[in-house]
Amino acid sequence: MARTGSALAITASLLAAGPALAAELEFYMTVDRNKVGTEDTFRCEIVVSNAPEGAVVQFPTPADFEVLSRSESTQMSYSVGPGGMGQIKQVRKFTLVMRANRAGALTIPPAGLQTAARTYKTDAIKVEVVPGRLAPEPRPRQPQAANPFGLPPGFPFGDEDDDPFGLPRALPDPFADDPAIPRSDSDLFLRATLDRPEVFVGEQVTLSILIYSRMDLMGVDSVTMPKLEGFLSQEIASPTNLHAEDRVVGGVRYRAYLLRSKALFPLKPGELNIEAAEADIASGVYPFSQRKLHRKSNTLALKVKPLPAGATNVGRWRLSSTVNQSDIALGEPVQLKVILEGRGNLKNVTLPKLEAPASFRVFDPQQTEKSSIKNNLVGGTRTVEYVLVPQQTGRFELPGLTLEYFDPESQQREKTSTDPITITVRPAGTGAQALTVPANDTPQGEPAARNQLVGGGLKSLRHTARFSEAHAVPWRQPFFLPLSIAPVALALALGLVSFVRTRAGQEDEVSRRNKQAKAARKRLAQAEKLAAAGSTIEFYAEVDKALRSFLEARLSQNVTGLTRPQLDDAMKAATVSEAVRARVLGVFETCDLGRYAPGMGDASARRKALEDAVHAMEVWP
Amino acid sequence: MIALGLTLALAYTPAEAQALFTEANDAYYRQEYSAAKDKYERLIAAGQSGPDVLFNLGTTHLAANELGPAILFLTRAARLAPSDDDIAAQLAVAQQRQLDQVVGAEDAEPFLQRLGRAVDERLVSWGFLIAWWVAFGLLFVFLRGSSHRWAFGLATAAVFAVALGLGGLVGVQAWVSTSVKEAVVMAATAKAREFPGDTAKVAFEVHAGLLVRVMEDSGRFVRIRLPNALEGWVEKEQVTPL
Repeated sequence: MARTGSALAITASLLAAGPALAAELEFYMTVDRNKVGTEDTFRCEIVVSNAPEGAVVQFPTPADFEVLSRSESTQMSYSVGPGGMGQIKQVRKFTLVMRANRAGALTIPPAGLQTAARTYKTDAIKVEVVPGRLAPEPRPRQPQAANPFGLPPGFPFGDEDDDPFGLPRALPDPFADDPAIPRSDSDLFLRATLDRPEVFVGEQVTLSILIYSRMDLMGVDSVTMPKLEGFLSQEIASPTNLHAEDRVVGGVRYRAYLLRSKALFPLKPGELNIEAAEADIASGVYPFSQRKLHRKSNTLALKVKPLPAGATNVGRWRLSSTVNQSDIALGEPVQLKVILEGRGNLKNVTLPKLEAPASFRVFDPQQTEKSSIKNNLVGGTRTVEYVLVPQQTGRFELPGLTLEYFDPESQQREKTSTDPITITVRPAGTGAQALTVPANDTPQGEPAARNQLVGGGLKSLRHTARFSEAHAVPWRQPFFLPLSIAPVALALALGLVSFVRTRAGQEDEVSRRNKQAKAARKRLAQAEKLAAAGSTIEFYAEVDKALRSFLEARLSQNVTGLTRPQLDDAMKAATVSEAVRARVLGVFETCDLGRYAPGMGDASARRKALEDAVHAMEVWP
Repeated sequence: MIALGLTLALAYTPAEAQALFTEANDAYYRQEYSAAKDKYERLIAAGQSGPDVLFNLGTTHLAANELGPAILFLTRAARLAPSDDDIAAQLAVAQQRQLDQVVGAEDAEPFLQRLGRAVDERLVSWGFLIAWWVAFGLLFVFLRGSSHRWAFGLATAAVFAVALGLGGLVGVQAWVSTSVKEAVVMAATAKAREFPGDTAKVAFEVHAGLLVRVMEDSGRFVRIRLPNALEGWVEKEQVTPL
């Protein structure tokens, strides 16, 4: 600080006037810099200590300087002086914010202090003024405290601890700019600012239009925003009620009002210019001193850097996915929700395509977007909902999705991915076991494409029916028992018939023998006729045959060719009595004599032979 | 006689029956289970039942979560077609949903009952009749005598053995059918009491779909026996005979 003036001299002269007063009055003028630019402001302070009552400070009126503002402060202090007397010291300080109107070696004329007794003057101060600006550039914006606006936790732009994306190095603050006060209209001016001088293509830059005023404002009638060619823009703030924020610009206190704020996303690299904004502002106090003022802001230039090769998505993003259920029945839809959230221009982000297994039928997704602005940063959430219907049973994996983006904060390419999701498809509970997936749709080598058939679930209905009585069991039918008994009865019947027939066969043998005997008797009758006719030989032959035939029937054996002893033995075996045997054998002997000795063939002999034969048959047992 | 006359009057032609069956199936696929059940039951009431109709009716009840009727009709279908795998599988699914778990059940039902249920009644009955007649035919030929008498003798003995075996099975089935009466619990919850009466102490509860054996009845109550020999009296209307 350069302190100029005559404080010491004044003090010395005052000492001569009296110890008490000489120690008390001080009057001097200082400036904070002796070399400034024409664009710079500087402070000029006039200090008066223990001025007598009624003293009036006469401020300098320099022609080469513009007094932008003037303020006053007073300090009181108490101290114990020599001899133990207390002293009260009052210091009044007047601060003038000034700016040079031209370059050169300029002089600030002295200030004056007029008291009842005399007028004091300070020294004039020389200031070297150069064109432009010498003051240092506005200080770099410091990272502000996290979540200065008390954002709810969990949002990507909220508290840093909860923010997976982290806060940017410096939040855009529309009031952080240190504007140059225009040479004219310094009481009310319009200022356009960008929160950063250079950005990447697609990176957000925030344009703010502010009113700086040192007068009372009634309102803003109209605002004309600049044409934003080469940008995508999104409104961040357009307040209907202006809220003032105190700002000190170049040492001058202003009330700053945010008029408009827009997020700009440059579309191409290079130097982009933004024209001035304009506004009609009503000032004064209604209705006495109302004025309508038209103001035009400064123009802006923005350097836009190109993106690295291949980068398309810009911002800071996070991708996640969920399914409503991972264990589903065949044919049951599963909802896959892919969520992209973060900051940046959401509309420019291209999501990767879902590559679902061929075993799933994927319907067109539904997409919703919700943009958000927090801390003047544009971002949002895009939700893409896929509906997938499984066509096969088994376990399938929905592959993860990966989004590549360029992060302007880190100036690196980043990736965000979702985890693969395993879905188990079990057989449906209403019948279908599996639906066939056309083989052409099955990618080669995809494990999930195998048609896995799992048992269980309800079987399908019968589509055709064979209608029948409920209880048509054969053994319940009336025919069953008779049919079961029939073979037994039939067998018994056949056995009986056989038995009867056997018995009937035995009676026939007796009958046959009786018939033979009867035939033998008929032969005897025939022989008798031959005897009457005189045929002796034939007669005996016929008697012989008749008797032999009778014996065969009775003895049940062939007797032809048997000798008489053999015949006798056969009759003995048949328990024929000796008298009958003798008679039978006698007839055979007579027959032999009659056939081979014709002289024996008289009528009496023939009669006797016939009677013996008849007698033998009659007495046969 | 009147019932028979009504049944004949209500009977559908084969084409009508198949059309009604298809309508019932369509109703099922539209998940209109009440309409589907009504159509299947009309077929049964008209005497045009069978394993297919019973299977579909049981499946419809199962889809409608009516476990008691589902197990009843599926069991009836299984009894009519014991070798039908689909019916057996559907019945197994229904039984898996059953609430009751009979603890300490006997290892198995009596041998004769198992034997009687294990074989197809129609097959056994017709097999017996055929074997029986063939055996007697062979016996006749054997007794008449022939050039291969010993072969006929062996064949006769073998066929007689088969016929007698099948006849025994028919007898077992007839005995099981007439002496073992089974029922399915239809009520969602049925209280089994210690004796037949509303004031009797409740011994245990059974739930829809449980297959029980009916031992005797008394008034409004029947005495049921569970597979683990647990017995109690439940109201008749809470169970339906198979």
